Amino acid sequence: MDSSLMNKLKILADSAKYDVSCSSSGVERKNSGRRGSASNAGICHSWSADGRCISLLKVLFTNKCAYDCQYCTNRRSVDVQRASFEPAELAELTMEFYRRNYIEGLFLSSAVEVSPDYTAERILQCLSMLRYDYGFAGYIHAKIIPGVSQELTHAIGLVADRLSVNIELPTEASLQRLAPQKKAKAIFTPMTQITNTLIQQRSLKGPGTMFKGENLNDSLHYLHPEGKTLVPTAGAQVHLGEGSLYQMSNGGEHALIREPRYKYKEKFCPAGQTTQMIIGAGTETDRQIVKTSESLYRSFKMKRVYFSAYIPISDSPLLPSVFTAPPLTREHRLYQADWLLRFYGFTAEEMFTESEPNLDLELDPKITWALRNIQLFPIEVNKASMEELLRIPGLGTVSALRILRQRKVSAVKYDDLKKMGVVLKRARFFLTCSGKYYGEKELSPEYVRSKVLESDRIKSQLLPPKEDSQLSMFTPGSFRLEAPDSLHPNTPQRRLKTDGGLLI
Amino acid sequence: MVDYLYDGSFEGFLTCIYWHYYGEKASGIYPAAQYQPSLFYGFTEVQTEAEKATRVYEAIEKKISAYDLQRIYRVFLSSVENRELLLLNYIRLGFKEGSKTSLLHGNPYVFPVAQAEKKIGAEVHRLYGLLRFSVLEGDILYAVVEPDHDILEFMAEHFSDRYKHDPFILHDKRRGKALVAQGGEWYITAFTEANLPQFSAQEQEYRALWKKYFQTIAIQERTNPTCQKNFMPVRYWKHLTEI
Repeated sequence: MDSSLMNKLKILADSAKYDVSCSSSGVERKNSGRRGSASNAGICHSWSADGRCISLLKVLFTNKCAYDCQYCTNRRSVDVQRASFEPAELAELTMEFYRRNYIEGLFLSSAVEVSPDYTAERILQCLSMLRYDYGFAGYIHAKIIPGVSQELTHAIGLVADRLSVNIELPTEASLQRLAPQKKAKAIFTPMTQITNTLIQQRSLKGPGTMFKGENLNDSLHYLHPEGKTLVPTAGAQVHLGEGSLYQMSNGGEHALIREPRYKYKEKFCPAGQTTQMIIGAGTETDRQIVKTSESLYRSFKMKRVYFSAYIPISDSPLLPSVFTAPPLTREHRLYQADWLLRFYGFTAEEMFTESEPNLDLELDPKITWALRNIQLFPIEVNKASMEELLRIPGLGTVSALRILRQRKVSAVKYDDLKKMGVVLKRARFFLTCSGKYYGEKELSPEYVRSKVLESDRIKSQLLPPKEDSQLSMFTPGSFRLEAPDSLHPNTPQRRLKTDGGLLI
Repeated sequence: MVDYLYDGSFEGFLTCIYWHYYGEKASGIYPAAQYQPSLFYGFTEVQTEAEKATRVYEAIEKKISAYDLQRIYRVFLSSVENRELLLLNYIRLGFKEGSKTSLLHGNPYVFPVAQAEKKIGAEVHRLYGLLRFSVLEGDILYAVVEPDHDILEFMAEHFSDRYKHDPFILHDKRRGKALVAQGGEWYITAFTEANLPQFSAQEQEYRALWKKYFQTIAIQERTNPTCQKNFMPVRYWKHLTEI
């Protein structure tokens, strides 16, 4: 057998595994005489040992990189095995895997070999071969390398279902420090181009339910790539974010622009664009991160913003030490916050207060919000609107819809709620059913917090150690590594002094 | 009250429903092959009659809803215990409540049926992904599954559309039948793996590549077997190439 292909696959899958996006959703394609199809809901084909799903063949095209980003395994200055696929080789591999139902399609990212354009051309060659020579109708997610020419971005968009440009770090300061060769402008230029092309072909859709019912395909949402509207500098214009966040303005002058309409034979990027950022490599607060993703959703209409807990792989003085555990709980809370943004009608601002710029690691962001706004509760499930129902912790979009539908034919009883999928161990404190309250005692934030934590503790051992227990890095027999989430005031790790003056 | 025994077919089940309304009330409905005589009720074997089945079929569609008809069929093909009785109760409620039946989430007759439907839907979706074809000589695709529920029929549209170019056999080993498809057309038939062609020359090579990919893509620092098993229950592992 061809051992070189095996070796390439190993090297190039190994380098791609830190890319978070796995989704194969957002485009429905029936088999129209081609090979394969795409399912709108997305299909997971396997789950790896880390519990993350595998739906796409996720590989780098090459890991020979000209850049030297501090957080990256493939940076130029590090000594690792290097390999590149041949376009035909990868196209055939994808096809054979797809035929055996191993995967839903291809996720193709790449290091920067020679130059962004050189790499992008080879990627385009591979993807075109898949789409046109093999007639492949499965899913393709392609990564756009910042700095690539507009024409190549466009051409890749016509063969891919989804495009993404990684923002990598949530603030420009971190980007400058950790990835000095990547410039914010070079990241935003292709992002802007993708959003605008989607508007031109009238197929831009907002993320989740964020822009439900709104027409996004008009000149109002059209972004200007050149300087005027894109202000990636600290503190200047505050439109959507604050402080050191990337800024986007939505100035009124857009309304005057009449952009040309194109007719596309192939759909450009039908599943929209996404991006990802690394969590815990820099010093950002959760508030900055959530606000950055909110502005990415609001301005670029990203389908998803992915978060990736930083896994220390390099010994850079700029980064957390290699003994740091990845901040997985923090990543999880950020995804929950992201869900609140996209599907529950929350704004980033609501989730934080001046004194707490980070999400609570012990409780999910919705219940934290509810405890801070306890005066709004309890909510009567038989009277509340969809929006109000969605604010009740433990109640999601599916159960809220079921409540509304059943209410049309008969009143919702407390016993029905569980059968509708409501998580009563959280929800019961925040609702009444036909006027009756089921939370045992008077509704007070402290009481509810302790009750919910109690039931969570029983369920899992995932919680960080209690505040009063000393972090025992070197206690014999209990050697464990904790994330230096020094940004979270509630965790004991903040006492940990980090050397190299890196965090705080 | 009497226990009705039928031949295990959907038509047979519908004929029992017919007799429940036009004959003696049913205390239970059971496939004749698995029936254990009860202490309290006698039993009658019901002859499947297409005409009576059709009447019930159309009555469900008209008096309850087309959605409920589908739901009833899906749950009938599940392996949920006592599904005939659950469905009998559901249909009785349905003829009383009409099209709003499926909205009564808390109703004790609706809830178990909704749960059973969810189970079967979840398995169908899971197997869309957790199915591994092997390429046999002559470019035929072949996959083995042992699903909890009788779901071949619900997989047909998805796979026959996706693999229009490759003839394939989807073998339900547990039930000894298979979905056979070619060019977008499909049928379900009794099946054993006897006389199956050999694997194609490259099959082992691609299996090895896939295994290597599967091992490589996991991040060691995040190993989480509980999570893996939650999404991919161990009972499906037997037929997965990568594990």
